[in-house]
Amino acid sequence: MGAWIELALPLALLALGYFTGTGIERSHYRSLRVRESRSRRVPVINFRRPPDHWDVRDATLVTGNVVVSIDHFKRFLAGLRSLVGGRVKSYESLLDRARREALLRMKEEAFEGGYHAVVNVRLETSRLASARRDGRGTAGVEILAFGTAVKVARTS
Amino acid sequence: MRWEPRTPPEGINVTPTHPLAEFATLVAGVAAVTVVVVALAAWGAEALVARLPAGVESALFGRLWDPGPGTDADPRAQPAGALLRRLARHWAENPYDLRLRVMEEPEPNAFALPGGMVVVTSGLLDQVASENELAFVLGHELGHFRHRDHLRGLGRQLVVGLVLAAAAGGGGAEALPALASAVTESGFARAQEREADAFGLGLVQAEYGHVEGADHFFQRLEKRHPEGPGDPVGAYLSTHPLTHERVAALRTRASRAGFAERGPLRPFPGDAGS
Repeated sequence: MGAWIELALPLALLALGYFTGTGIERSHYRSLRVRESRSRRVPVINFRRPPDHWDVRDATLVTGNVVVSIDHFKRFLAGLRSLVGGRVKSYESLLDRARREALLRMKEEAFEGGYHAVVNVRLETSRLASARRDGRGTAGVEILAFGTAVKVARTS
Repeated sequence: MRWEPRTPPEGINVTPTHPLAEFATLVAGVAAVTVVVVALAAWGAEALVARLPAGVESALFGRLWDPGPGTDADPRAQPAGALLRRLARHWAENPYDLRLRVMEEPEPNAFALPGGMVVVTSGLLDQVASENELAFVLGHELGHFRHRDHLRGLGRQLVVGLVLAAAAGGGGAEALPALASAVTESGFARAQEREADAFGLGLVQAEYGHVEGADHFFQRLEKRHPEGPGDPVGAYLSTHPLTHERVAALRTRASRAGFAERGPLRPFPGDAGS
């Protein structure tokens, strides 16, 4: 009986991680596509200064911040992957979503404030220490997108 | 340069592999490699350790279990030790200077320790109804010495433990190595227990001229912990074969070897002859 539980519990956790993780990922990608298309008129650029011909009237700091965690299934895949090396594919989509979400939140903040564009955009990534006592393992990552939102009177 | 509003292109930063496909490849690959490495390591350790001469083994481990004079309080340690040495006379090439100790422990059990030390629990001595029954248990432990199982187990556990610790240190997937080790461990152990049973049975026959009483120990075990045949996974994962399987194996072996299955039992601890 004990052997069954030892085998079934990790499998159940994996299945739970897979189904919840995939579901969340799929609906998140759907929402990303819709919102990216909606806010596509706010240009986001990483030049340090706005182009010279922009008549900038107002500027402010805008930020977009995302904290994501991995599910048990992704963690398991990454653990196996760390034995043999290669692309950690299970994390790629997670970080892709986090970066896009952070940029979107930053853009939405700019858009709601009536700004026309965001310049000098930077992305920062930091790892959150897990609750485990040694602080190892991944509780999640934080992705911060920030930049300078500008109001432009006209472009000549 | 004209600026055109666009949505960012998709799929640049994500590899389009289905996670389940990756899962299947990784699990299959890692499982295969783990099994091969563990099997090789276990086999290598066993082969090396079984070549250790008994003299060296006794020199290495002999002193380790020495309790010092007068510490074995159980009065049954003497007759049990004598019985052990009497049985060993039927094992011509015995290289060990055999000793026996009694451990205070209600659960009936016995172990063979490196260097020729047999440990029996006081619970076992409380339970045995005849000398013949105890003789089989001691003969079984002598079988472990004969096949160097006590060393094999030690060497294998050490090496497999090291390999698995190294693998687990590399990252997650904790469930896999644990399962692999449980399965290989008990697979080896079960074969060894059968061999030791057979050797013990031979010694009992040589000592008494019959094998009556040899399976009493198992019959008592089975009465205390009845295990149905309906739990195949539990049985496979346990280190010892199912007791009723062992009883059946003993019967088959006895009849095939032409051992007498009935005969008089001697009491234990006996005042010789009564």
